[in-house]
Amino acid sequence: MPDQDNKCTCNEQPLVPTIVEVIDIIDRTPDVKSFFVKNTDGNGVPFQVAPGQCGMVSHLPIGEAMISCTWQEEQEYLEFAIKRVGLLTDELHQIEVGQKIGVRGPYGNGFPVDACKGKDMVFIAGGIGLAPLRSFIKYCFKYREDYGKITIIYGSRSKADLCFKEELFDLWPKEPNTEVFVTIDNAEAEWDGNVGFVPTYLEELSPSSNGAIAVVCGPPIMIKFVLKSLEKMGYNDDQVITTLEMRMKCGIGKCGRCNIGSEFICLDGPVYYLKQLRDLPPEW
Amino acid sequence: MKEITNKIQTIASNLFADNKIDVFLAWEKGDLDFKTKSFVARNAEDVKNIVFDEYSINNIANSLLKFRDSHERIGIAVKGCDSRGIVRLLEDLQIKRDRLYIVGIPCPGMKDPLTAARNRGGFSKQKEADGLAKKCLDCIQPNPVIYDELVGPEQSPRQQGDRFAKVKEIESMSADERYKFWEDTFSTCIRCYACRQVCVACDCRTCIFDEMKPQWVGRENSASDNMMYHLVKHAHMAGRCIECGECERVCPVNIPLMLLNRKLIKDVGTLFGGPDAGMQYVEGSKPPLSVYRENDPDSFL
Amino acid sequence: MKVLSKAKLESALNKLSDKNEVFVPMQKGERSGYFTWKSFDNGQDELMLDALNVYQSPKNVVLPQTEKMYSIKSQGVEVNIDKTYEDAHPTIIFGARGCDVKGIIAMDDVFLTRGYEDSFYKARRSGNVIIANACYEPGANCFCNAMEVNSLDPVGSDVILRDAGDGYVWEVRTEKGEAVTALIADLLEEKEAKLPEVKPFTQKVDYSGVAEKLKDMFAHPIWDKLSQPCVNCGMCTYVCPSCYCFDIQVKMWGDEGYRFRAWDSCMFEEYSREAGGGNPRGASKERFRQRFLHKLEFFKERYGTPLCTGCGRCIIVCPTDINIVRIIDAVKEAEINA
Repeated sequence: MPDQDNKCTCNEQPLVPTIVEVIDIIDRTPDVKSFFVKNTDGNGVPFQVAPGQCGMVSHLPIGEAMISCTWQEEQEYLEFAIKRVGLLTDELHQIEVGQKIGVRGPYGNGFPVDACKGKDMVFIAGGIGLAPLRSFIKYCFKYREDYGKITIIYGSRSKADLCFKEELFDLWPKEPNTEVFVTIDNAEAEWDGNVGFVPTYLEELSPSSNGAIAVVCGPPIMIKFVLKSLEKMGYNDDQVITTLEMRMKCGIGKCGRCNIGSEFICLDGPVYYLKQLRDLPPEW
Repeated sequence: MKEITNKIQTIASNLFADNKIDVFLAWEKGDLDFKTKSFVARNAEDVKNIVFDEYSINNIANSLLKFRDSHERIGIAVKGCDSRGIVRLLEDLQIKRDRLYIVGIPCPGMKDPLTAARNRGGFSKQKEADGLAKKCLDCIQPNPVIYDELVGPEQSPRQQGDRFAKVKEIESMSADERYKFWEDTFSTCIRCYACRQVCVACDCRTCIFDEMKPQWVGRENSASDNMMYHLVKHAHMAGRCIECGECERVCPVNIPLMLLNRKLIKDVGTLFGGPDAGMQYVEGSKPPLSVYRENDPDSFL
Repeated sequence: MKVLSKAKLESALNKLSDKNEVFVPMQKGERSGYFTWKSFDNGQDELMLDALNVYQSPKNVVLPQTEKMYSIKSQGVEVNIDKTYEDAHPTIIFGARGCDVKGIIAMDDVFLTRGYEDSFYKARRSGNVIIANACYEPGANCFCNAMEVNSLDPVGSDVILRDAGDGYVWEVRTEKGEAVTALIADLLEEKEAKLPEVKPFTQKVDYSGVAEKLKDMFAHPIWDKLSQPCVNCGMCTYVCPSCYCFDIQVKMWGDEGYRFRAWDSCMFEEYSREAGGGNPRGASKERFRQRFLHKLEFFKERYGTPLCTGCGRCIIVCPTDINIVRIIDAVKEAEINA
């Protein structure tokens, strides 16, 4: 993590990526793929990532995009879950295992994993928003005794669009003192789970705000409604954490475009307590 | 000019009073006598800020683009060149005629506020000539071509001699000379895109130069990218440029953009005939390159 | 005092140009900005050291309009970065006014602090020396004094020139300045010179309290009216000595190419447009507000000094009379409804 005002503690050339190899690609949904990267010599990963941090992933001939690192498995790999939305991600979805790509990072402030110790964790995500939260969820499971009850509420457009199905239906519900609730927007055949939007489902489930921290990520409109619901349910501003997104180019707080107020989302964020967000202009 | 200001203010007030419009677009003064900006009057109170004087050079038709998605009824005051801009937007289906009440002002020629600002700013050692703006000296249509009401006496075109004299000069160069001329010219471009923003005919919601999938022209300030930007932009203007001259006026490095525009106007005129772009509004009319006819000339393809 | 007589100015510039790329304010044909002394054409160009300023700022020297970053070679699954293009060749900005010097110092804050040092900017800046031109007669649009700039002694200058009539008083301020002075030591004379009278600012601007007030004015209706004439042409950002926002793009010819960065502007529609199509600053008013809040509030909040340096260029070049001074005035007068 960079020092605030001191010399760069990482790469001497922060805008130049490290070349890594894609060692595996897994299809998560029709438009989301997980890319697993490792150093080209097979030894280790290019940098250590804390939960919630991101990396600038580039397919060098095309461009770069800031993608949250959904998990770092020790020195084995970094996993980036990438949704196909634009120029770069389109191209990335067409590469194959063995392709060399660029990454640089880690960027961002990450989730406050230490401050949340001892709390009940309520993770609320929509669509690809589960990817950044997954890094925190898996961290909690890795250090299970440090955290209280874990509730995961996740929704997506359709059954096919649910990311990380194995974790959602198989692995996570088996963890101690953990409940997983999944919903999809519209009813469909072969789905007998909940149907409805995440904010509505959240209010129905109403996880207690007592000693709890809610961590929210998803499309901006979902975040807005979830924050309203959480307020209704009695969550204080310092009990709610979210992770924001803006268009980013440099990733290191220099190019100017990802700012909300005087904060750069790539550098000072993207993780914010709701309390901090109240001080920022409502540009998210 | 004071008379014209009064007339416009009266018309605007009446339109508001009769509830015929929701906004009136015109000009207002800045804090110095040579400063003018576009202005949106939203009620009868605001009308008193409207001023038309010798510095009202901005093309008000450009402001219409901010209203294309909403439903306000719009009163608008326009000079000759601005009115051709309205025709441009009507032909491009960017705004509906029945939303507009057009007050036409035959234009006596404007002075350039940017020239006055530069003279007063102290950045240059030479004082620029303070007369009519360069673009106004080349004006071929000072009288509005579309209007609901006219204020002021008819004006005569100011363009003297051969409208395409400078174009012919460049045409008479050899291909190599011409290439060098344009290469040198475009090398000074800083890609500020001001020419695109002030252009009325540039009404695409997402400009081709902002597209990333694919990226047609890179952002690099190199000879090739600069040339591509200008050639593509002006090719898009072929048959659509209304010759208001704003692009050349605002360019910070004085690129002779109207030279390029006039070349295209000349070529389109020769190839397709017909009146110049925006000269008359006929419902359903379209610029020559927006319509396909089987017998269209295609020697340039 | 050390004085460089104006008769020896050309020789001095020639000598400095031996080992350095020297940028001087110049009217070069139709363009007005900082160009290299080597490119000065006696017939066509005019040196503007005695004019108030030139239209394009010297920020191009440390943050070029277009700057190559690193090479890319891609073949099948392999991709290589063979070289990076940091460029530390020695440059001198000769004759920058206080407002322009402040612009570069502000950019130092951006590119060299907060945990990351931009290697490209760092390289250019390390080789760069600023010889400032003290300003004794403010222009009609100048207000650098209100924006924390000392036009008589600009912070960050390596050498300061003072125009004393037939010579420039040459004041060294830093080690870098010493090194450059040594190159022309034999052209400097030790003598007394009469400094010009300090003329007052004709444009009165009161910036005090504006940054604090703006903190609560994000949703204020004032932005609707102020942004109305703006056509988002971007000229203000390009002539501004302290606007630094950049875009990073790629240029490829088949398998080879490079990544580069180029000036960008918050005025352009696609500046904040996200891949999925969302755009937090899609409307003209939102981009307009972003620019002025950045200049007058956000930068001060983050780095302790306003980003506007009071040079007045944007006021001259704006085609629709958007004037940052009038905006400061409007903010001061605005009522905030709690």
